[in-house]
Amino acid sequence: MRHLIALAAASLPVMSASAAQAADNQRFIACPIYRDADAGAKSGCWLVTDPATGQQWDVSQSPYKPDWNYAVLVEGTAADTAERPCGAPVLDPVRTSRLETQCLRHMLPAEGYPGRPFVRPARNISPLSNPPAPPPGPYSERAFTLFFELDRSFVVYQYGDYLLDQAAHWIRATNPRRLVVTGYAASEPETVSGQVIAERPEMAQQRAEVVALSLSRLFPDMEIETHAVTGAQVNDHPDADGIPGQSQRRVEITALF
Amino acid sequence: MKSGSSLPAPRKGKRVLLLAAGLLCGALGFSGLAGAEGPADDRWWGPGEDRTWPEVLDYPNANGILRTLITGGPVQTKGHPFFEPMGPNGRACISCHQPADAMSLAVETIQERWRVTNGTDPIFAAYDGSNCPVLPQGEAASHSMLLEHGLFRIERPWPITEYEGRAVTPDFTIEVVRDPHGCNSGVQYGPENGRISVYRRPRPLANLKYLLAVGFAYDPKQGLTLPRDPDTGEYLSGNLMSDNRAVNLRLQMEDAASTHGEMIDRLSPAAIQAITAFNLSVFTAQQVGAHGTALDSLGATGGPATLRDSEAGALGSIGVPVFSEFAVWETIAPEEAARLSPEQLEWRRSVARGARVFRDKTFLITDSAGINSPMGFGNPVRNSCVFCHNMTRMGNDVAPGQVDLGTTTLPFADPLPDFPLFRITCTGDPHPHYGRVILTYDPGFALTSGRCADVGKITLQSLRGLSARAPYFANGSAKDLEGVVDYYERRYNIGYTAQERQDLINLMSAL
Repeated sequence: MRHLIALAAASLPVMSASAAQAADNQRFIACPIYRDADAGAKSGCWLVTDPATGQQWDVSQSPYKPDWNYAVLVEGTAADTAERPCGAPVLDPVRTSRLETQCLRHMLPAEGYPGRPFVRPARNISPLSNPPAPPPGPYSERAFTLFFELDRSFVVYQYGDYLLDQAAHWIRATNPRRLVVTGYAASEPETVSGQVIAERPEMAQQRAEVVALSLSRLFPDMEIETHAVTGAQVNDHPDADGIPGQSQRRVEITALF
Repeated sequence: MKSGSSLPAPRKGKRVLLLAAGLLCGALGFSGLAGAEGPADDRWWGPGEDRTWPEVLDYPNANGILRTLITGGPVQTKGHPFFEPMGPNGRACISCHQPADAMSLAVETIQERWRVTNGTDPIFAAYDGSNCPVLPQGEAASHSMLLEHGLFRIERPWPITEYEGRAVTPDFTIEVVRDPHGCNSGVQYGPENGRISVYRRPRPLANLKYLLAVGFAYDPKQGLTLPRDPDTGEYLSGNLMSDNRAVNLRLQMEDAASTHGEMIDRLSPAAIQAITAFNLSVFTAQQVGAHGTALDSLGATGGPATLRDSEAGALGSIGVPVFSEFAVWETIAPEEAARLSPEQLEWRRSVARGARVFRDKTFLITDSAGINSPMGFGNPVRNSCVFCHNMTRMGNDVAPGQVDLGTTTLPFADPLPDFPLFRITCTGDPHPHYGRVILTYDPGFALTSGRCADVGKITLQSLRGLSARAPYFANGSAKDLEGVVDYYERRYNIGYTAQERQDLINLMSAL
């Protein structure tokens, strides 16, 4: 694996209209509350209250769910539904990134709210015993993107691993000459709920290296380069689900022939 | 245990076998004992013996009978490297992987060996069969960790410098708070001297195809693709050892030979090949449960034959539900029920209910690294036993199973005053649940990975053959199956009813 580190401020990605609908996107910092709505395994509810408006939201659909001991950065869009299975309007799509600010852990009883029975998400990987069919050609240079929690490089189960697996599946079928892995960090400070947040610049390289390590295990003989880009901008990749902040925190894998 | 203190009364192996056989004669669906091949008087298999290991080997235990099957025909032990002493302490692999004990070593067996040999059996070797080699070796008190808890000393290097082929600098420091046995301090031992001692149970060397099976290419707990086997290039399961320090069978046996066996030379390729072949051929599970109940009767598929004949590595949630081998006992036909004693009927129903409780009784899992962090499940997350014990038929984790249940780490661990106690200080990010400073009896996986976030994580193991190999958990802190359930009840405030508790115990006794 080659590590060609190129730190540079990026301004290339394009923000589309869908990603730019900031008015519809909620973004705030709050302490999460767990509601023990017992509808079976993985059925609990996560609630947060926007400190600016006092509006409580249901953020249970985040692929990385809160820890009740820590504040979360909430990013999401109000769902077009009147259903309140957890007792609050639903943000979906939504992301909740764990911050280091400690919270008083609190749990509400179900109070009659049913919660949601767990449904296996669409983004889940296939077992090795049941590999998907090879992707149809023709094959040419192509990029794949994974997304991350704020200031973390962990590839999240049933989100990041699925996106990585999609890339691996295609790479295995196409056998490119080399892979270029570029990590991005949203390192420009922003004020959210009165707090200044920014990703550590080194997160860009860290993300690239984590993904490159996984790729090197998938393709032991393939040449892999890593690059790092700070000051990541918003883009409109569909797997960011229209959440601008999510689209910034990413790794791009480019297969070159 | 003080020197000269009395040990429990010796086990009457033959009498137990006959009693069990007598009970079995009246049991519906009795599938037969291999009593002629399983010599009850000779349940101890010593290193260097000249015996024939049969294809079917049965041994009684307090809950019924354990059966061990091997594929490929009987094995002659004389000259076989699994059975021959490997180093100066006289131990062989068989010393700590006994068929009567589900290829592990029960504390009851250890106590019996002390009595029978007056403490001279090779399992009591000073290096790791005593609390510390510096102690007077003839005294039972010097072997109390083994005699009372079934624990061998495991010496780990410090600091860790390499993991999975990459250089590692630990992100924590380790200090010794308490060293009751002298193997974590002084001029030879302890972190300052590069040697940390922890105490752990031997893992069962059986049903290994399940522990080596890989269901998916990714480790959700580490957020990485699985590492590759340095020998074969295949993905590694990560489920072989409690701290994942040896990732394949070759490395495990080399580690065992050089430490437990005190072998000076390296194992030869031929010996590694022979031991590997034998290990992979062994399947063990309880065959007969309480009240002489054949576990493969009335349509149930308990026992080791199902393990031997099934594909390994399937996730129960998307295939055959975990421990559904006993589901048919939920609805026993009236005419069949009438042929059972009330106790036999109720015990079968209880085992089937226990499997349901194991799969379906959910509770809030909190502050457990490897579950509540970092994968994104949330803290807390509601789930059941099969959240982690998720592999069909075996109950180990399909993914690499490094999880912190709290059995070794405060505040969750039970008081263990005769264990060493360490203070871990995270120098990078704090631990996601314990914070920056952690008190632990055994840092577990962190002594392999060098990561503070891995303190207290212990690899889940197979749930098979439990009746034959008490005590439980890696540090032997649960004396019996009741102790296992009660630990989980305390740890996660589950709220098991008395019936659910007993059903779970009966299920585990039948595995």
